[in-house]
Amino acid sequence: MGDTIETEGRFASAMRADAPPAIVLQDVNKWFGALHVLRDINLTVATGERVVVCGPSGSGKSTMIRCINRLEQHQQGKIMVDGIELSDDLRSLDAIRREVGMVFQSFNLFPHLTVLENCTLAPIWVRRMPKKEAEELAMEYLERVRIPEQAKKYPGQLSGGQQQRVAIARALCMKPKIMLFDEPTSALDPEMIKEVLDTMVMLAETGMTMICVTHEMGFARQVADRVVFMDRGEIVESGEPEALFSDPKTDRLRLFLSQILRGH
Amino acid sequence: MSDVTLNAAAASPEAAPRAAPVTSTGTVAWLRANLFSSWINTAVSLALAYLLVRWTIGFIDWAFINAIWTVPMQGNVPQTQACRALEGSGACWAVIGEKHRFILFGTYPYEEHWRPLLVCALFIALYVVSAMRRFWSWVLIPIWVGTLTLIGVLMWGGVLGLSYVPQERWGGLPITLILSTFGLAFAFPLAVLVALGRRSKLPAIKTLCVLYVELVRGVPLISLLFMASVMFPLFLPEGMNIDKLLRAQVAITLFAGAYLAEVVRAGLQTLPRGQYEAAEALGLSYWHKTGLIILPQALRLVIPPLVNTFIGFFKDTSLVLIIGIFDLLTAGKTAIVEPAWQGFGIEVYVFVGAIYLVFCFAMSKYSQDLERDLNQHRRR
Ligand SMILES: Nc1ncnc2c1ncn2[C@@H]1O[C@H](COP(=O)(O)OP(=O)(O)OP(=O)(O)O)[C@@H](O)[C@H]1O
Ligand SMILES: [Mg+2]
Repeated sequence: MGDTIETEGRFASAMRADAPPAIVLQDVNKWFGALHVLRDINLTVATGERVVVCGPSGSGKSTMIRCINRLEQHQQGKIMVDGIELSDDLRSLDAIRREVGMVFQSFNLFPHLTVLENCTLAPIWVRRMPKKEAEELAMEYLERVRIPEQAKKYPGQLSGGQQQRVAIARALCMKPKIMLFDEPTSALDPEMIKEVLDTMVMLAETGMTMICVTHEMGFARQVADRVVFMDRGEIVESGEPEALFSDPKTDRLRLFLSQILRGH
Repeated sequence: MSDVTLNAAAASPEAAPRAAPVTSTGTVAWLRANLFSSWINTAVSLALAYLLVRWTIGFIDWAFINAIWTVPMQGNVPQTQACRALEGSGACWAVIGEKHRFILFGTYPYEEHWRPLLVCALFIALYVVSAMRRFWSWVLIPIWVGTLTLIGVLMWGGVLGLSYVPQERWGGLPITLILSTFGLAFAFPLAVLVALGRRSKLPAIKTLCVLYVELVRGVPLISLLFMASVMFPLFLPEGMNIDKLLRAQVAITLFAGAYLAEVVRAGLQTLPRGQYEAAEALGLSYWHKTGLIILPQALRLVIPPLVNTFIGFFKDTSLVLIIGIFDLLTAGKTAIVEPAWQGFGIEVYVFVGAIYLVFCFAMSKYSQDLERDLNQHRRR
């Protein structure tokens, strides 16, 4: 315990004094067997900052953000979330997962529970919130993602866009400080992408700290404070969206951008 | 994966949006479409119909028209000459009338038969209550504990003015119900734990669970029963004796547990990894994740094979006859050892078979309803 506080103290002094960073990755390395998927990743995300991560398929984007809530474990380096270092200690893991919400490409809603139950499950069981209170909270967020009328339905009865908005509401019901998005619109039909992006823009406007893996360049331009470009397990370039997109410094990013633009 | 197939199956009726033409509905149309659509279909339908009618008539002749329902008694000895004169052309139901109490309750003291009868009624009541979804909560636990205790008191006696009946004298249907109910009631939670243990990240737990399943599944139930009845007492300290029924019960529970564990594990494996990840990302603990997300989905998926295994074990309890326990089937066999009734096995086996059938069919029907109700979320 004392150890954590000490590291936190040392760390805070290294950063700007006013706002402690929400997420810090320091020289993070990870291998899947012999495959080196994350190479010396260094990334600091300030509280309230919105970061978009892009890069070609297989470059390690998902792996990186999944390390942040420890769905994957890094093997070298240090990850701090909300001032707590990720380690094998289960209590710190619980604390971190309570503060970090995640939205997946394939929604991963619980199909045997109604939309409302999907949203109230974690507040009730993890935050020990009374059921009635949890339901009121869930309805509030379902209204915010504009699907309160679907609360009693099962996820399988909703469209993809609606399901993803439920997934966002479900994560928000835990009142997280940080939200991670892993290609939230990639599994959606084009006409549904906008409704999900609108929800995310709205969320960004509330000042939420967000890391978002996406290839939606329009979204990146609109809300991102910073875009991070990854390739082959490395962070190759990062910077403000306009600057990065209009003036790529590396060939790899130039190639990637040309492919993305051709694809669209 | 199963999602895909189920959705596909559900989607196909929607593929025909227009109402079917009126001329193609109704009984005649159904018959024409399904039984007489071509000359070969017609031939097969007619042949099968002929056989069906003949067998039905034959069975009715045997079971009802030519059957003998009672036989005269001379002293204590039933006079079965009339039955023998039938030479198999009719059933001799008199054997059931005479022996049904022995078949149902074995050698339990005759004047105390109301006790095992009440026990059977209690078991059935317990099944019915447990089957009703509005009782699905913690209240079931005291109900089960209370009923099973009451059943023990009724069978053993020795308290409340009931005379003591040693376990050796129990027999018939109560034995079958005791072995299968206790067996499955303990085997099922055991199976869930073992199935979870087999997927555990802790090598010790995983190895233990794999060993248990492979060892128990690798030997026939009969040899397990033998071991329980012959070898197990050798390991116990001198003078300590565990009830024979209890030993058989343990063997059956362990055996059923290994099979059910594999069924449950199959269910766990069909769940996509995203379900685990979503639960973890929300901060749910292992037991919350397992109890609220994983098991409810996995078990629903395996209701048919689960009930299949249940039904199999309900019938497999009859194997305890080899270690001298008098279950329903053994009682039936013993009933026709008496010289007067020798040769009337068919009637007795039909009777015993009908009892098994009632229980198994009830299980099967219930599981179909359960599957339909619990998987409603899969339908649109
Ligand atoms: N559980 C795993 N075991 C082994 N290799 C893995 C595993 N998960 C990912 N990989 C590999 O690690 C590399 C990085 O994968 P990752 O999913 O992070 O890429 P990504 O940038 O998210 O790609 P995409 O845009 O396709 O989602 C890939 O080569 C992938 O095959
Ligand atoms: Mg990915």
